[in-house]
Amino acid sequence: MAANPLFEQTIMALLAGDVICEYQHDSLHNYLSIPGHQQQVSSFLAQMNRVLRTTSDQSAWLCAFESTKPKEVKDSIRKRFDEVANNLEPLVAFLRLVMTSEGNQRPVTPGDRISEGALLEQISNAPSLESRLRSLTESKYFRTQKADSALQLRTVIKKLEDEGFLKRLGSSGSQFIATGRWTWLYDLMGFIQAHEGIADSGSYDDEQMRML
Amino acid sequence: MAKADDAQSALVALARHADLILDAHLNNANRIRETRENQSILESLERHRLVWRYRDDDDDSGPNLNKELVHLLAHITRAQRRRWASERIHELWSDLQELFEDYREAKRLAAYTDKDRLESSIAEHVNMLIEDIRSANEAYSSYLDGGYMYVTDLDLRIRENEKAIDRAGKLNALFDSFNINELAEQAGTDTFLRRLLLKHLPATLEEGRKNLASSISRLSVMLVRMREDQRLSRMVGGFEQQFVNNPGYVPSIADINLDNCPARINLTSEFRVASHPDVYEAADESDMVALAEVARTERDVKISDPLEAYRAEGIITNDLLSADEVDEDDPTDSLAEELILHVIDGGLGDKEIRALSVLASSGLLIDEEGWLYALEGTINALHPDDRRCLHLSYCYHPHTTYRDNIHIHDMILRQHDVSV
Repeated sequence: MAANPLFEQTIMALLAGDVICEYQHDSLHNYLSIPGHQQQVSSFLAQMNRVLRTTSDQSAWLCAFESTKPKEVKDSIRKRFDEVANNLEPLVAFLRLVMTSEGNQRPVTPGDRISEGALLEQISNAPSLESRLRSLTESKYFRTQKADSALQLRTVIKKLEDEGFLKRLGSSGSQFIATGRWTWLYDLMGFIQAHEGIADSGSYDDEQMRML
Repeated sequence: MAKADDAQSALVALARHADLILDAHLNNANRIRETRENQSILESLERHRLVWRYRDDDDDSGPNLNKELVHLLAHITRAQRRRWASERIHELWSDLQELFEDYREAKRLAAYTDKDRLESSIAEHVNMLIEDIRSANEAYSSYLDGGYMYVTDLDLRIRENEKAIDRAGKLNALFDSFNINELAEQAGTDTFLRRLLLKHLPATLEEGRKNLASSISRLSVMLVRMREDQRLSRMVGGFEQQFVNNPGYVPSIADINLDNCPARINLTSEFRVASHPDVYEAADESDMVALAEVARTERDVKISDPLEAYRAEGIITNDLLSADEVDEDDPTDSLAEELILHVIDGGLGDKEIRALSVLASSGLLIDEEGWLYALEGTINALHPDDRRCLHLSYCYHPHTTYRDNIHIHDMILRQHDVSV
């Protein structure tokens, strides 16, 4: 049977815990957009007690356990959750840093472009943002001893790139694109919010949709 | 007689509740708001079958006006709606109606000079009307094109969207105000008027309707996106508040029965797939030799990937000025920082580590003295809280001649308060 490189790469990425979206793994995302390929990948994963899942907005693919009854599976889920839960505060602080420096209220979403140079310029011009960045780099997730804002920001961006939240664009090294991992994080935050009873600010207005 | 009484009574009901009915038609999509005050009015209108509702209607937007009544209201409010949508188009249409009358009179009197003048004037007015309808449509479309990106506040952007919906409503009212029957009535059998009113004007209206439908579709997409942004923004704000109000807060799923694991927390950890070369396959031998040669070369050349070399040199392109800035990121300092953070964060557990063993396995080509100096310098620069987490001891021997002086030949690091 001939090897299928895209199938292999898709399986490897899913097993490695990657979130397959059009920004991080363009070709794999295209591959999975064909129902027949989804079926092949699902059949393979099913033999390993795993299923193919999509994020809530159906824009990205990831791997989940089919049966969560075995003890080692439960341990794995708890461990993975704890990894995110322990680092949630710095991730939320990063989102606020970007929102404040860009002067809008939109959190980072997949497909958003982040320019390290532009972000650094905004941060350098505002002591409060510098202070936010400094406290961000004091967290365990983004920890660095570097005192310079440029190096601190680079550490933060590098960490997010390593964790799959950002993808470097081109070879210039300072333009990044947000990946589907943010949606995955927001899905998880939505769960935590409901589970822990964390209130969000304000209410939603359906009036406009009705008017349309 | 009874039927005539019923009809009269229905007309009286219409007259008595005219304000409410007109408000429902103009401002509430032909639905009467169901309030306690309106209850008796609704009963009266329902009795005359002027409103209707679904039996199992759980929608609280109120009963609908009867279809025939809606047609009547559309007919009698056409001019008003046209004026509301566009004062200028309403005026042009009013002028045109006068011109139509003059034109018909000139034709009847066989006043050909006046007829020619009026034909030219009517054509000009219709062209102006068509242009105004097109430009209103184009202005609306370009208004939506930007997605109000200039408005940074999400709530203000949603209000901007509301204005856009309002403008869409006006455009819709404008197109609806030109009824094809009315236009046909105005044109009569006159060839000139028929060409203008039943060909050119309807074509423009149809084009406008199509553009408006497409704009409304874009508006819906934008609204969905804005609502999602608003939801995420509020969720992020909620978490921020939670972290501020509860320092050290970490969410937990300890209480969840994972036998029925919620989908959003069902996440697999990394599944490591290790592969080894097949050294038993004779057919692959030549390939293996080639790979071994490359591996040997790569060990000598530490950085072979041009992009990695680029990153390692610390070159950042400043995308604003399109200039390159070279940043001196010393690998010795980076290694020292990495080592210290590893120890402070408990990466060693209850173990300890020697500085020189780290240097030996790092592949860095620097002398031992320089490494120990760099490490000590980084430790001295630590924040006091971090410094307290680190236990440092020196390996030394006294100077052979000056016994009071000591020669440090290694450093041992471990996490503080952890018994060895």
